[in-house]
Amino acid sequence: MKLLIIEDEPSLNKSIVDYLTDRQYLCESVSSYAAAVEKIECYQYDCIVLDIMLPDGNGLKLLEHIKANKQSEGIIIISARNELEDKVAGIELGADDYLTKPFHLPELSVRIAAIIRRKNLQGSNLLAFEEIEMDVLGKAVAINNRALVLTRKEYDLLLYFIINKNRVLSKNAIAEHLWGDDMDMADNHDFLYTHVKNLRKKLLQAGAKDYIKSIYGIGYKFSIA
Amino acid sequence: MKLFSKYNRINIIASILIFLGGCLAFYFVMDYVLIKQLDEALETEESEIVQYVQSHNSLPEIVNTNDQQTYFVEVAEPFSKTIYHSKKLWNKSEQESEWMRQLIFGITVSNRHYQITVNKSQEETKGFLQLIVLIAATMIALILIAGYIINRVVLKRLWQPFYNSIHSISNYQLQQQAIQLPSTPIEEFNLLNHTINQMTARVEKDYQTLKAFTGNAAHEMQTPLAVISTNTESLMQDETVLKLHHTTISTIEEAAKRLSRLNQSLLLLTKIENRRFDLTEKIQWDELIQKRASELNELMVSQNIHLSIDTVPVTAVFHQHLADIIVSNLLGNAIRYNYQSGSIDIQLNKSAFTISNTSTLPSLDETRIFNRFYRHPETKVDGNGLGLSIVQQVCHAAGYTISYQYNNNRHIFTIHF
Repeated sequence: MKLLIIEDEPSLNKSIVDYLTDRQYLCESVSSYAAAVEKIECYQYDCIVLDIMLPDGNGLKLLEHIKANKQSEGIIIISARNELEDKVAGIELGADDYLTKPFHLPELSVRIAAIIRRKNLQGSNLLAFEEIEMDVLGKAVAINNRALVLTRKEYDLLLYFIINKNRVLSKNAIAEHLWGDDMDMADNHDFLYTHVKNLRKKLLQAGAKDYIKSIYGIGYKFSIA
Repeated sequence: MKLFSKYNRINIIASILIFLGGCLAFYFVMDYVLIKQLDEALETEESEIVQYVQSHNSLPEIVNTNDQQTYFVEVAEPFSKTIYHSKKLWNKSEQESEWMRQLIFGITVSNRHYQITVNKSQEETKGFLQLIVLIAATMIALILIAGYIINRVVLKRLWQPFYNSIHSISNYQLQQQAIQLPSTPIEEFNLLNHTINQMTARVEKDYQTLKAFTGNAAHEMQTPLAVISTNTESLMQDETVLKLHHTTISTIEEAAKRLSRLNQSLLLLTKIENRRFDLTEKIQWDELIQKRASELNELMVSQNIHLSIDTVPVTAVFHQHLADIIVSNLLGNAIRYNYQSGSIDIQLNKSAFTISNTSTLPSLDETRIFNRFYRHPETKVDGNGLGLSIVQQVCHAAGYTISYQYNNNRHIFTIHF
C-alpha cells in the first residue's frame, strides 16, 4: 500500500510518515504544492493525505488537479480549519474524508484503512489478527471461525485496536474515536473502561487470547506480547 | 424629542419673546407719537386763543364738544407756565371717566389774568393704539402658525435623506457590500453619507482582515497542537519512557486537547458573533433532541441518571450545526454537572425548550453564567467555560432568548423561540 503525505509542517509530516510506515504502509512525503504535483503526475498512490493549507498553493486546487487526472486514489484532507464550508468543498471535490487538526495518529490510520478498503473493492474485506477475523464489509467478527456477537461500540473498538495493533493508544484517542469530539466528559474514561472490559470478556469467552493490555495511566495496547 | 421639535420649541419661544418685545416697543412708540400729535393739536388751540386775544382783546367764545373742552379760570397772579399732562376726567355725556390730554397755560386780557385749560379726549388715540396692537398680535400669531407648518412640512422633507441614511445603516450587516449612500443637495447630509460610506468600507476591510486573521490563527495554532499531540503519541510508544513519565505524557496530551478545544470554541464564538451562519435550514427540534439524547444515553445510563423527555414536533428555520450545538451543550452540561442517580428533564413545546437537571452545584450567578470563561468556583469537572456563552450567542443570532433559573434544587435553562 502506497501513501503520499502532503504536509508542510516538517515535524508533523515526519510523525505521520513514521506512524504510517510502522503500520506497514509505503510512505512518500512532500511539503509543498509544487512537489506534490510532480509526485502525483509521476506515480500512482493508494491514498493521499493532504493538508489543504500549503505555503505555495491551496490543497483544494491540488485536489481538483488529482481528480482532473482521473486518478483513483483515496484522498483524506487534514486541515487546521474546522470549517463546514471547507469540509463540504473538499468532499464535493472528491475527497473521501476530512480530519481536523490536531488529530490522533491512530484515528488517521483507521480512516486511511477505511478509505483503502472502500477503494480496493477487489481486495479482501477481511482483517485478521491471530485467531480473530473481522469482515469489515459485513461488520462481523469470528474467533477460530466461530461467529462472535459484539455491540456496535465493541466492534468499533476492536477494529480500532486491530488497525492500530502493537501501539500504545491513549484513552483520549480511543474515546474520541468512539464518541466523537463532543464527548469531553471527564468520566468517559470509566465508561471506556467498561466497554474494554466487556470486549475483553467476550473475546476470552469465545476462545481468543487476551491481547488487550492496560497501560497504566495512559490507555491500552493491542498486541500478542 | 426630535431635533426639529427641539429646534421648533426654541424657535417659537424666541419668536414670541421678540414679537412681544417688538409689540411693547411699538406700543410705546405709537403711544408717544399719538400723544405728541394730541399735544400739537392742543398747541394749535393755544395759539388760536392767543391770536384771538391779541386781535380782539377779549377771551373767545367757547364751544365745548365731546372731544374738546376749554375752561377759563381767573387767577390773581399771572400764570406763566405751560403744562401738558394726561388725566382721567369725568365725561358727562358718556357718563364715565376717560383719559384726557390736558393743556394748562396762562393768558392776560386787559390786565386780568386767566388760567386756561384745554382738554382733548385721548380715547380715539387709545382706540387707534388698540387696533394697532390687535393687528400686530394677529400678525404674530399668523407668522408663528405659518412658521410651524412650514417647519413641519419642509423640515420633514429636508430630513428625509438623513432618515434614509439611518435606515441603510440599521439594515447594514457585515459581509455584505459597503454602504453606498447617494449624494444629496444638503451639505451636512452629504458629509454624513460620505463618512458612512467611508466608514463601512473601512469596517468591511477590517472585517475581511479579521476573518483572514481568525482563519490563519486557527491554522497557526492547530498545526503546532497537532505536532504536540502526534509527538506525544510517538513518545507513548517507548515503554521505558512511558513507565517513568506516564503522568507527564498524559498531562501533555490532555492539555493539548484542551487548548485545541478552547481554540475551536473561540473560533466558533467569533463566527457566530460575526453572523457567519445562514439561518436558512429547516430543522426538527424534537428529532434533534431525541437523537442527541440517544447518543448520550450510554453515558447517562452509566451514571444512573434518569432522563425524561416531553416533546411535541417543532420545526424551525435555523441552522443544523448551531441547533446541534445548543442541544448538545445544554444536555452535555446537564450530564456533566449532575450527580450519580440524578435526573434530567427536557420539555419542548412550540414556544420554548426547557432543560432542567439536578446538580452538585448550588445556584449559579445568573448575571455571570453566560459570560466567557465564567465557571463556578466549586466546579470540579473541567470545561472550558465557553459552552454557555456559545449557546447564548447562538440564541442571540437566532433571535431566541435564553434564561436561567434555580428552583427546587434544579438548574433550569429555558430557550424561548
